[in-house]
Amino acid sequence: MTTSPQPLTPRPRFKIFRWRAVGPLLVLFVILAVLWWLFADTIARRETQRVGTVIMGAKVEIQDLHINLRAGDVTIRGLTIASPHEPFKNLLQADELVAEIDVVPLTEKKLIIDRIAANGLRFGTARTTDGRVAAKSDGKGGGASIAERVMAETREWASQFQVPVLQLATGKLSIDSLDPRRLSTLPAAAALAARADSTQKALQAAYQGLNLGPTIDSATATLEKLKTARATDLNTLNQGRLAIEQIKRATDRVTALERGAKAGLAGLQSGLAGLDSARLRDYAFAKSLLKLPSLDAPAIGSALFGPVAVKPFERVLYYTQLARRYMPPGLLPRATTGPQRVRRAGEDVRFPKEQALPGFLLRSAELSFLLRPNSDQPQRYAGKLSGLTSDPALYGRPMLASASGPQLSAGAMLNHLRGVPVDTAGATVGGIPLPAFDIPGLPLRLTPGDGTTQLGLKLDGDTIHAMFALRTTNAKWSGDSGIRNTTIGDVIWRTVSGISNVELEARISGELHKPQLAVRSNLDQAIASRLRAIVGEEVAAAERQVRERVDALVKEKVDPVRAQVNTIQTQAQAQIAQQRARLDELQKQLEQRMRELTRLPFQR
Amino acid sequence: MFGLIKLIQSLVGALHSEGTPGQLAAGIALGSILGLTPLVNIHNAVVFAALVLLNVSFAGGMLGWALFVPIGFILDPLFDWLGHALLLAPSLRGLWTSLYNTPIVPLTNFNNTVVLGSLAFALLLFLPLFFATRWAVTRYRATIGERVRQSKFYRAVMASKVYNVYRMFQP
Repeated sequence: MTTSPQPLTPRPRFKIFRWRAVGPLLVLFVILAVLWWLFADTIARRETQRVGTVIMGAKVEIQDLHINLRAGDVTIRGLTIASPHEPFKNLLQADELVAEIDVVPLTEKKLIIDRIAANGLRFGTARTTDGRVAAKSDGKGGGASIAERVMAETREWASQFQVPVLQLATGKLSIDSLDPRRLSTLPAAAALAARADSTQKALQAAYQGLNLGPTIDSATATLEKLKTARATDLNTLNQGRLAIEQIKRATDRVTALERGAKAGLAGLQSGLAGLDSARLRDYAFAKSLLKLPSLDAPAIGSALFGPVAVKPFERVLYYTQLARRYMPPGLLPRATTGPQRVRRAGEDVRFPKEQALPGFLLRSAELSFLLRPNSDQPQRYAGKLSGLTSDPALYGRPMLASASGPQLSAGAMLNHLRGVPVDTAGATVGGIPLPAFDIPGLPLRLTPGDGTTQLGLKLDGDTIHAMFALRTTNAKWSGDSGIRNTTIGDVIWRTVSGISNVELEARISGELHKPQLAVRSNLDQAIASRLRAIVGEEVAAAERQVRERVDALVKEKVDPVRAQVNTIQTQAQAQIAQQRARLDELQKQLEQRMRELTRLPFQR
Repeated sequence: MFGLIKLIQSLVGALHSEGTPGQLAAGIALGSILGLTPLVNIHNAVVFAALVLLNVSFAGGMLGWALFVPIGFILDPLFDWLGHALLLAPSLRGLWTSLYNTPIVPLTNFNNTVVLGSLAFALLLFLPLFFATRWAVTRYRATIGERVRQSKFYRAVMASKVYNVYRMFQP
């Protein structure tokens, strides 16, 4: 019997591709492309603002950005970069920037700009909102940007130059902030008191441990016996000899005690001397609260103009260090903070390659800018910049920048081609109104007016040589109403108010972590001599006041300790001397009587 | 809340779809790449295109995406560490340098520690997840699948409007 074959049901053929989805997918991609085309300018503008803000550490705002990929250019209008250092100032504004870009490197995520033409640049214009970003951060957070970290570092660097300021014109020479807990004498006195207590107890215990009573009593009894004894009374003579030995041994113990007591007392005396040293330190500390500078001319220059002179150095160092971070030498992989997103940003690692294009390169830029933009006759200047790149080793040439005009000469070179970067910059600007500044510690304000400023910097590795100079013949001084109410304020006011010719020069040199600052001005000598004449007495009085205040705070702790130490010393010395005298006397009498008894008859 | 309901609908719908366990598992494994890695990257466009073009469960892909997004957030520190280790490994420097200087490749953001770490993790997870999911779906359908299909809960899900949208992409 044969069975008829079962009809085979054809197994459905498995399809790998879902061809009907190609259409919707293409439509989706077309929609995305159209959306990109529609919003590319907006996206690029926002991304440029975001990246620019992160790089500069201050808000970057763009009114309009247009990308023309076919022509390979990008036009930016209404660019504003806020100052990273001043809250309501812009670093620069530009009416228009036109950048010619290479399109092909964009596929490698590389931005190569052949040329930028910048028109209508203006510097230091006012703004209504605080545009700082890096300056508001402490730069120590885990996610701190490069700009924030550099800002924190340069601030810390600048803070080391803070010099004591003169608090004279207000007449406030106060040490109200003197906190007794910060005086070193008080804990030293407490420690010495504890040591004195323990020394006293130790001495007392050692004194009682001498146990001289039985020895003295026994020797006294033996002496009485010897007084009535005969020369043939050998037993009594032996007792006498024994008593003398015992007294000698007791004397040795007293001598040992005296030696120990001297050492202990010497320690206490040295503790007292330590209290005196601590008090001198406390005088110095309290004097530092007065913020009294030296009255020498160079110190006056530092005290009056130091903080003002350090500011330009701090700013130029900020930009230089920023450039070093973004334009590092060498070709090793470099990690930077990744893009902001809802997910963790992570780090972007760049892998520069020899003979390849850098990640960013601005080959050349032509700048046209205005100085004194708000005046009736704004001055037009021109500048050039070339070789601004993220990978100087790939580009092979240093970044150069220059600007020139009727009263302007500026140049900079950032050479990051080798392992040790060398940055140099110099600028001389004349004929523009210089910003007014307050004299630290004094209710005085100097408005330099139109003048000339010079700035020079050479940063070779970590060695800095920098110079800042300000010269004006139109200086105006202003002081608040209280400045003339005190003699000293009046003196300073009379010294400087008539001086319209101000020359200030500051120099910094040395290793970056330990630089030397020297500030001099034509006012130093004049102010120093006047201050020395008038303020010398005031300073001396203030120092006296400081000492009295410190003395008052430490007296109640130090005097009892001093008295305690003296008492212990006197007491110990008296006790030892008394015991020694009794022993010596007994020994003397015993020896005398023994000599009398043991003398031969013909010797008597 | 809507997201949660949608997730439940996707889960139930996908488990009871006509697709094979393999199709569903492949969809979930592809979706896990979308969820584990930062979304806006070119590799995810490729994954999305694969999800649409390949005959795998699209709903499974959406489900995998939704399930693995929170896991991606939680594991971001691990991804960062992994990506850091890979990108800065001296033995791989030549590879990364070549890729970084090759057109289009840098647009994938492979040089970001989180992107590379999460992608490497997702690719390593792909096959184990595929096989585990396929086994789990097969077991589910063989055991409690029919009882769930008869439940009021399932009928409520099937009646939902969202489910109708989902059906448009079922395999």
